[in-house]
Amino acid sequence: MATPLKGYGGRDGEPSWDARRGGLIGPSAQRNPTIVEDHRFCGFAGWLIGSRLKNRIRQQSVGFILACILSLVSALTSPSFALDVPALTGHIVDLAQVLPADVATSLTNDLEAHETKTSNQVAVLILPSLDGEPIESFSHRVGTTWKLGQKGTDNGVLLLIALRERKVRIEVGYGLEGTLTDLRTAHIIRQEIVPRFRSGDLSGGIAAGVRAILGTIEGTYQAEDVLSGHARSGQEPTGLQFLIVGIVVGTLAGLILSHGLQRTRALLGGLLAFFVAQSAGVGLGLVAAGVTALLLWLILLASRGQGGGWGEGFMMGPGGGFGGSFGGGGGFSGGGGDFGGGGASGDW
Amino acid sequence: MGSRISIFATLAITVVFAGLSGCGYNDLQGLDEDTKAAWSEVVNQYQRRADLITNLVATVKGYAAHEQETLEGVVQARAQATGIQVTPDTLKDPAAFEQFQKAQASLTTSLGRLIAIAENYPNLKADQNFRDLQSQLEGTENRIAVARKRYIEKVAEYNKGVRYFPTNLTAKFLLHLEEKPNFTVADEKAVAKPPEVKF
Repeated sequence: MATPLKGYGGRDGEPSWDARRGGLIGPSAQRNPTIVEDHRFCGFAGWLIGSRLKNRIRQQSVGFILACILSLVSALTSPSFALDVPALTGHIVDLAQVLPADVATSLTNDLEAHETKTSNQVAVLILPSLDGEPIESFSHRVGTTWKLGQKGTDNGVLLLIALRERKVRIEVGYGLEGTLTDLRTAHIIRQEIVPRFRSGDLSGGIAAGVRAILGTIEGTYQAEDVLSGHARSGQEPTGLQFLIVGIVVGTLAGLILSHGLQRTRALLGGLLAFFVAQSAGVGLGLVAAGVTALLLWLILLASRGQGGGWGEGFMMGPGGGFGGSFGGGGGFSGGGGDFGGGGASGDW
Repeated sequence: MGSRISIFATLAITVVFAGLSGCGYNDLQGLDEDTKAAWSEVVNQYQRRADLITNLVATVKGYAAHEQETLEGVVQARAQATGIQVTPDTLKDPAAFEQFQKAQASLTTSLGRLIAIAENYPNLKADQNFRDLQSQLEGTENRIAVARKRYIEKVAEYNKGVRYFPTNLTAKFLLHLEEKPNFTVADEKAVAKPPEVKF
């Protein structure tokens, strides 16, 4: 019972991951594991405490309320046995701190160079412990959470090492399953990684594994192809595209449809623009409607040939707020790749 | 006069578009396609496993020919599983879905037995070919688990669309969509844990 609750706590005296996740302090969670584990028990305990009171009605109601509160608290603090996916801080995430700095730096350089050249994203995660979760399900979760590989080509690879369980897995993205097959990953684990791990050479095994992975997938994709392919097939239309199309369609339709009845132009055009652009969000829809209405209004003014009246009777929707975040430079982040469970596991 | 008609036309078009997106017409159609795609992936991975089994049985036979019962059990279970015709229509028929699931589950069980007896034959365990097949089989089992998980999630989403108001009206009267069967939890537990293989 104590083992799953221990969580990541690799080194003594540090709060475990469970502690941070559940809100309970590690040691007390271990001393009294039943409270964290069994909701029904908590409910029962609350009823027991309440039943000590003499007044029967108060007894029942207080017991009931206590039971509710306790089961709520236990629901909030109980650990879901799933381990948290750690943050993607770089190509190598060494939570066990076993890689010497120089090895980590040279491997990171290799991985970065490989990514620039091929767009393949290969990452390494070293964990102190898996916390009882099967390595296959955890590594799939890490891969899909980090979104290693590019969107569309799914060319990501994760090398996961769990020290306490002495397990290693190579998780392969959809797009690389053809070259880095289950068989090939099994061979890399069996021939490159496990023998070195067995002789105690952890960093040598990791470096050899990474080199074998990179050597295998070298030449599968070229960065230029992947990136230009992106531009051509264009992922999904962006909010800006929806906005522009909405405004153009709305303006044209407003002009054509309400021919002769100029006041309704702005209304109709704005409505249409809204419905086109709202596919990308209600806010954008309102912006499109506002801009279209403004355009049509200006056209109306121009055609009447009379100035003035700029500010009257015109209200613009709550526009603004273009939060388009363009991929920040610097740090390493997943490109949107997906994983289908390919790869192999082994232990040493 | 003409302009009034065009106003009504615009309004009508707007209302129809808004109405359709509001009642989930496109969402339901999209989810329906998603579940079909997820299902194809499940079937695809099961098929991959069936393909590997033929080679595995042949390899084990070379070392443990007298384990007739287990070997035949696998061959039969495989024949039964691959004998079931799977189409997108399987999803409309809970009985056919159940049958497919049962056949695959029994293949999983007999395959587990085959791997277990391999433990008793050191020569077989050391055979490179056997080890390779085992790695591939392991990988495939893992992919099956992933594909099933995705199918389960997609169907849950789709079924919600079919049952929730107001999209249930669209599903029932406009698209004639029905709930789709899902894998049962007990079965999922058995499959979610990939077979233990020691090198």
